[in-house]
Amino acid sequence: MTVLKDIDVRLLDEALAWRAPLESDDADWDGYTLWLEADPRHREAFDAIALTERIVDDRAEDLRRLRAVEPVAVPRPAWPRRGLMFGAVAAAVALAVGIPAFWPRADTVYATGSGETRKLALGGGIAVELAPSTRLVARYGDPSSLELAQGDAYFVVAHDPGRPLSIKAGDYAVTDIGTTFGVSLSPQSLSVSVAEGAVSVVPQAGDPARVDAGQRLFAAKSTMRVGSIAPTDVGSWRQGRLVYDQVPLAVVVADISRYSGKAVTVDPAVRDRPFSGVLAIGDGKRMLAGLADLTGLPYEAEGGGLRLGAAAGR
Amino acid sequence: MTGQDPQGLEACYRDCRGELLRFLIARTGDSGEAEEVLQDVWIRLRQVPAGPIANGRAYLYRMAQNLVVDRIREKQRRMQRERAWLDDRTDRAASGAEPVDPSRTAEDTILEREETARLLSALATLPDGARHAFELHKIEGLSHAEVAQRLGISKSGVEKHMAVAMKYLRRALLD
Repeated sequence: MTVLKDIDVRLLDEALAWRAPLESDDADWDGYTLWLEADPRHREAFDAIALTERIVDDRAEDLRRLRAVEPVAVPRPAWPRRGLMFGAVAAAVALAVGIPAFWPRADTVYATGSGETRKLALGGGIAVELAPSTRLVARYGDPSSLELAQGDAYFVVAHDPGRPLSIKAGDYAVTDIGTTFGVSLSPQSLSVSVAEGAVSVVPQAGDPARVDAGQRLFAAKSTMRVGSIAPTDVGSWRQGRLVYDQVPLAVVVADISRYSGKAVTVDPAVRDRPFSGVLAIGDGKRMLAGLADLTGLPYEAEGGGLRLGAAAGR
Repeated sequence: MTGQDPQGLEACYRDCRGELLRFLIARTGDSGEAEEVLQDVWIRLRQVPAGPIANGRAYLYRMAQNLVVDRIREKQRRMQRERAWLDDRTDRAASGAEPVDPSRTAEDTILEREETARLLSALATLPDGARHAFELHKIEGLSHAEVAQRLGISKSGVEKHMAVAMKYLRRALLD
């Protein structure tokens, strides 16, 4: 450990300002040399920044390994998941050698079973309702750093510009958050619907999309599409209905699996067929029959679950 | 000036040797150390695999600066080891046990784990924006531009977050 010196924060900021530009091929090494020569405290400040960064780089691999994926009893998502999934941080570091308690705060996980819904006040003016079979994670127990790991959540947020809230969902992040909106994540898709206010949805690559009140964003296979939705239909699962507008049958079927607690699959020939309509949730047992009626498709028992098939005579 | 191969880099080195030395003296504050680092640069550049290097001069400067940071880091780790050894020795002397060799490598693993734990703890106290930007950039390896896109903010916003993060971490890691 070096002795921590009281370095003027302005000098640290100057050093930080030099740090990144020096990486590029057209860096101004002459200017940097002059800055170093101007005052020995400049070198001191840069040493401190460079050493901090070197320690971080040395330990980055350990940090990556500690972010363990919590085992989850759901089908693996079809998307390649490049984002980190946060479960509880492994305590293996200290257990092995009994070092003093520098414990990071663990993630808080809010989860619902297949027949269960939950209403939560997360603190900081954030109220959320979780649909069945849903997992919401507050990273490090911090209610403004959320991840929807699966399922459906309906948020009512008192807007506070001083405390930015972000919600990670699959390969997307919902940011710039105001007021009332629903987020629904399935293995193949994400939908974000706004009843009041507006949010931004930021993909891993590409421009963010703004979603205003009365709009719903639907994202699948790295494309995003914004359509309209009646504000009263946002989070309609809370009133026992699911409302769809041109959504692939595969996604509808995934939702039915979640609400019914039964594994429901769909014939690959029709999995991408868009569906618009309303399904009543009820006790979850009649949802597939309802979908079959609306689409004119048959269904049958298969394995331990059900399968929505192509129309007879194809 | 481009260096296409070790011979190209050698030519660069001969051309900028004077400037590199001046830079290293300013960077280390010690002309003896500056000469040593310059010599290390000379030895290392011969080991660089052949291939296109857009700007040989910039490459050599970056190499020189990295070598300086290597030394600072090594000094810091040596001080950590010695302090741990002294603490351990004091404990052992108090209990009448034999002192241990300070170069034992098992100590390094323990010190590394302490460092990781400190880093985790410091990260948990960062303000949200800074922590998100830091994790995406340093742990997930995204560029500043990619972090900006992911967080829906500007590139300079990302740089400000990273500056906040580094200042917090300096206090936590260098105490």
